Amino acid sequence: MSYINEELLPFGFCPGCGHIKIAGYIDEALTRLELPPEKVVVVTDIGCIGIIDKYYKTNAFHGLHGRVLTYASGIKLADPELTVIAVMGDGGAGIGGAHLLSAARRNIGVTLIVANNFNYGMTGGQHSCTTPFDAVTATTPLGNLEAPLDLLGTLLPSKPAFLARTTVFSEDATDLLTEALTAPGFALVDIWDICVAYFAGRNPLTRNTVDEWMERMDMHPGVLCRGSRPEFSRALRDLHEPLCLAKEAAEGDGGGAREASEATSESATPPGDRVALEQVATSSLSARTSVLIAGSAGQKIRSVATLLGAGAIMSGLAATQKDDYPITVRTGHSQSEVILSPDRIHYTGIETPDVVLLLSDDGLAQVAKAAYSWSPGTRVYADEALAERLDTGARVVALPLEETAKKVGRLSLGAVGLGVLLAAESLFPAEAFEAAARLLQKDKVAEINIAGLRAGMELIPAQGDPRT
Amino acid sequence: MREFIDGNEAVVLGALDAGCDFFAGYPITPASSILVGMLRELPLRRGVAVQAEDEIASIGMCIGAAMTGRKAMTATSGPGISLYSENIGLALMGETPLVIVNVQRQGPATGSATKGADGDIQFMRWVTSGGLPMIVLSPENAAECYTLTIRAFNLAERFRIPVFLASQKEVGLTRELVDLDVVRRSAPAVVPRTVAPVDCVYEPHACALLEEVGPMSPIGGPHLVRYTTSTHDQRAYLAKDPVLIEEMLDHYRRKITDHLEEISHLDVDEQEGADTVIITYGVTARAARDAVASQRAAGRKVSLVVLKTLFPVPEAELAAVLARHERVVVAEMNLGQYVQELRRLTEESKIVSVAKMNTELISPTEILVRGGLS
Repeated sequence: MSYINEELLPFGFCPGCGHIKIAGYIDEALTRLELPPEKVVVVTDIGCIGIIDKYYKTNAFHGLHGRVLTYASGIKLADPELTVIAVMGDGGAGIGGAHLLSAARRNIGVTLIVANNFNYGMTGGQHSCTTPFDAVTATTPLGNLEAPLDLLGTLLPSKPAFLARTTVFSEDATDLLTEALTAPGFALVDIWDICVAYFAGRNPLTRNTVDEWMERMDMHPGVLCRGSRPEFSRALRDLHEPLCLAKEAAEGDGGGAREASEATSESATPPGDRVALEQVATSSLSARTSVLIAGSAGQKIRSVATLLGAGAIMSGLAATQKDDYPITVRTGHSQSEVILSPDRIHYTGIETPDVVLLLSDDGLAQVAKAAYSWSPGTRVYADEALAERLDTGARVVALPLEETAKKVGRLSLGAVGLGVLLAAESLFPAEAFEAAARLLQKDKVAEINIAGLRAGMELIPAQGDPRT
Repeated sequence: MREFIDGNEAVVLGALDAGCDFFAGYPITPASSILVGMLRELPLRRGVAVQAEDEIASIGMCIGAAMTGRKAMTATSGPGISLYSENIGLALMGETPLVIVNVQRQGPATGSATKGADGDIQFMRWVTSGGLPMIVLSPENAAECYTLTIRAFNLAERFRIPVFLASQKEVGLTRELVDLDVVRRSAPAVVPRTVAPVDCVYEPHACALLEEVGPMSPIGGPHLVRYTTSTHDQRAYLAKDPVLIEEMLDHYRRKITDHLEEISHLDVDEQEGADTVIITYGVTARAARDAVASQRAAGRKVSLVVLKTLFPVPEAELAAVLARHERVVVAEMNLGQYVQELRRLTEESKIVSVAKMNTELISPTEILVRGGLS
């Protein structure tokens, strides 16, 4: 049977256009393979060849210029059982070049047919990425200065399932398309074609000379690659299958795949690293308190800030946390803003912090400008060396933070600082911090943080609340 | 379950509970953690999540997957929305359900990658050529990132349209206390896709009335499905007849504009006798809530409207509130974008714009002072 919808013929191409032949070759290949039409989708984009999807009695998807491989990839990823045929022109190959490279690198099971006629037929014969050197087009009237893209050669290093080149005049076109459609992964058939409307009139490319052009351009017909890498949409599933099975076994649902689309709010499974912060202590904090932790990247500022927030929540408080840091890691500043409150927190900004924990020179540089205007209502806790250099109206409490942290161990400075805050500001009981650390962190890290916290708390005498 | 999570994590949880089973995205601050979260969670649930080669491929893959029956989502920030633009038009043209999370950052262009703003509000409304209606939802906190993500999926399915979740850095990357057990009680029930019966003659854009939305049938399912970026008839074949073209565009417009009540979602906290109403949305609503609380504590009356649906503009509800107030203070983290919508609905002389886009949050004090309330 033919896959062509006879009712819609004749094809809407110029008389003599090679696209008509390509439409026939695709039909012949489908007919040979006897693929069920509802399991075939012809995906096209913009360009003369882009109208061919409508002539097939299969599923059809006609998308944006140059993006055919994105839709085709989405369809294949969603349903690997489908035979996905993407058809584009050389114009689409050029503007969608990134997709071409990526489809080949993934080896996704899409068969791409490029109807390659060396110019943009739909818009009046402008040059494309495959226009031969010296060729005359509407936009290269004196000859093309750009080297033509070798579609196959460009993709060859990725070793996709199938790469082949032919012409619309070649008897092997149907064979190549048939093999492409059954290739286990990404397949490209670059079909050289003659644009009778524009390119042929301006350049001596004919049925009889196309072989010479191929020879001259060093782009030869035939199969260039039959790769054996795994097909992407199935490989992606295979990669995750053991994790799926383990998860399902853990959930004890008998190994049956629970369709995500059937998920309801009640039955939804929490993502892996979610942790419930049950209340283990009670905070006596009576008012919203804003805490600014200013230090350096690599000091674990963000993770101790999260422990501060989580500990507060485990003491019955509300908490928010915002971080500010450069895109680099382990260099530059790192700053976290944490708000703790017995009431619901709406506004998350801190105009003037109530409490500041200053942990490094980078932190000092970050807060220096604002610190001028702080009043004694703001309490700054800083290492002695930093406190000396801070010019502020805030009340500054200088403590041997660095020295204490050195005794506790590597990366404990933040926790030492938090110990100071907990003791001096009576934010919430230490047991909540310790419980948060044990829940959220690996054992070793949690132990260092707990030791740091305890050491920090000891720096503040029992009645040492600086507010009193 | 009490947790300390940020808005982006809540979007992931909302998407999972909404039945999202396809995600494609490209890394960008401050939206990357949604990509990473979906890549971690979806495959475990036999869904598909991929990092695409660019934003154009991200949304292209989502559109293709959605047409095979998947519930698809993508997430990016302003620069990525620019690259989504043309494909959003395709999704509108093809009546494709899709959720697009825009974790906004200060723009234009690369702007301040790690700083917040609501500078893309009108951009999302007019994101693509043709001027068709868009749906844009705006969460003010992590809990709403969860509930409004589910709502975005529901609206996308109900109206076969791409729906924006207009988050921003200050919501997406701010960690806070969320009790999902409590939040879920107020979350909408999941709306499933309406699928055509097996034994029908399927037409992808058929609808009995122009304001109605027809069922879908998945590519690879029982019917042959056509999809096209071009102006088309109900069968998705190219249309050139102006009467037919107008009819299809009326359908695309009216399926939204005739259902404003269903889409409109706003939190109206009106105080009787108040002459001023503060209108705001997103993270700025949080400052407005504190500002309103402080006014009321001091015995001064003030009303508050927090918009959850930004577009289509909930005109009827807003007009009613506007008519009952002498002054309208519009607070937003941009150069004054949504205030333009309110200018259409009331006299210019009533409006005070409290607009700021310098990467800092607008504070409660600033709303009150610039709004002439204290």
